[in-house]
Amino acid sequence: MNRNYYFLTAIMFVLALGTLFIHERVVSPQISPSELLWDVLQPTRFVTTDQVAKRLIEKDPSLLLIDVRPAAEYDKYSLPNAVNVPIDSLITPAGQEYFGNPGTKVVLFSNDAILANQAWVLLRRMAFKNDYVMKGGINGWMETIIQPKEPAETAPESAFERYEFRKAACQYFTGANVANTGKSSSKVKVVFKRRKKTAVAAGGC
Amino acid sequence: MHVHELNPKKTLWTLILFLLVIVVGFITMKRPLLNYEISLQQTTKILKDTSNNCFYPYQLADVLNHKNKNVVLIDLRNKYAYGLGHIPGAKSIPAFDLTHKENVDLLKGYKKNGVSVVLYADNQLAADGAWLFFRQVGFCNVRFLLGGYNYYKAHKDNLEQTKSDDSYLKGIARFDYARMASSKAVTSASQKQKKPVVFHRRKKVAVAAGGC
Repeated sequence: MNRNYYFLTAIMFVLALGTLFIHERVVSPQISPSELLWDVLQPTRFVTTDQVAKRLIEKDPSLLLIDVRPAAEYDKYSLPNAVNVPIDSLITPAGQEYFGNPGTKVVLFSNDAILANQAWVLLRRMAFKNDYVMKGGINGWMETIIQPKEPAETAPESAFERYEFRKAACQYFTGANVANTGKSSSKVKVVFKRRKKTAVAAGGC
Repeated sequence: MHVHELNPKKTLWTLILFLLVIVVGFITMKRPLLNYEISLQQTTKILKDTSNNCFYPYQLADVLNHKNKNVVLIDLRNKYAYGLGHIPGAKSIPAFDLTHKENVDLLKGYKKNGVSVVLYADNQLAADGAWLFFRQVGFCNVRFLLGGYNYYKAHKDNLEQTKSDDSYLKGIARFDYARMASSKAVTSASQKQKKPVVFHRRKKVAVAAGGC
């Protein structure tokens, strides 16, 4: 045997020993910063309150609503079937169970879209996909679904269709009729005018 | 007999060449322009620290009067929107150009000189993602403008007075949700007491006169 073989074996052995001293680093998968910025700038993550309401009414099993507000606010009120994952527990393993499951679409919401959007950025950094942000948040939900405004008379047909949907959705979620705002312009009071008889029927006795 | 046994130094040369290739590879490796400098845990803490993140519309007044020269405004909207109107003195960097090297270098320069950078777009939400991104890659001098350009445009002339206004603040519950979503609150129309309908029977004015 050649001396070179011993030499090479010794080098490999030293290198192998080196691996023993490598620290075990638990690094959760993260996407690169430039990829994150690109995704952050896309508006495709936003869904409207109407879309969420429609899916809730249809009882879409793939929809998962996540409330990212603090637990105290969640206890007071939240959307139907929503799960509370405050933004602190979003990065813990327990909170992450809800995300990245195939076949589910996660919709994040908060009072506005801001906190939910920030949660989305964190989730995207952790390489989760199929997450959405409800634009307007619960404030928007109240303004559009629970107390829809009647469109102006000059509004396009689609606005009226949306209004009809929202009224029905309101009834679905609250079990009540939409409060009548009083200035319902569509109803015109019909006034009957009785024509006066111009002359008394003459004759008779 | 192996080939290398003819030249015992061949192994050494191969080894040196091998190491050289690895070293050259490490040196010429292209480093990403930006790296995460803040962990996810730290990021969640940053989100709560609103005083260091937000830039209030009334603070703009000082910047526009050149009293506060330590602030640079950056307009993230596209060039067209910037051309239509922008906050005076703002630099235009469309959001998609943010990762260009010259723009990153510009921001790094601001950070070095202790200049705070205020990002704005049409509203807070449009600038929020870019802001959070820059915080995560280590630009602790980056803030966002509350209310965005739309709020500024509406209150251009009375920026000082917006101190008492809170309509631009986000994350606040604007309604009493629970009360509103319960069916009782919504049926406010039915709460109005209906006026009892009173029937008035018309009195006969005259006794029916007899036939003729």
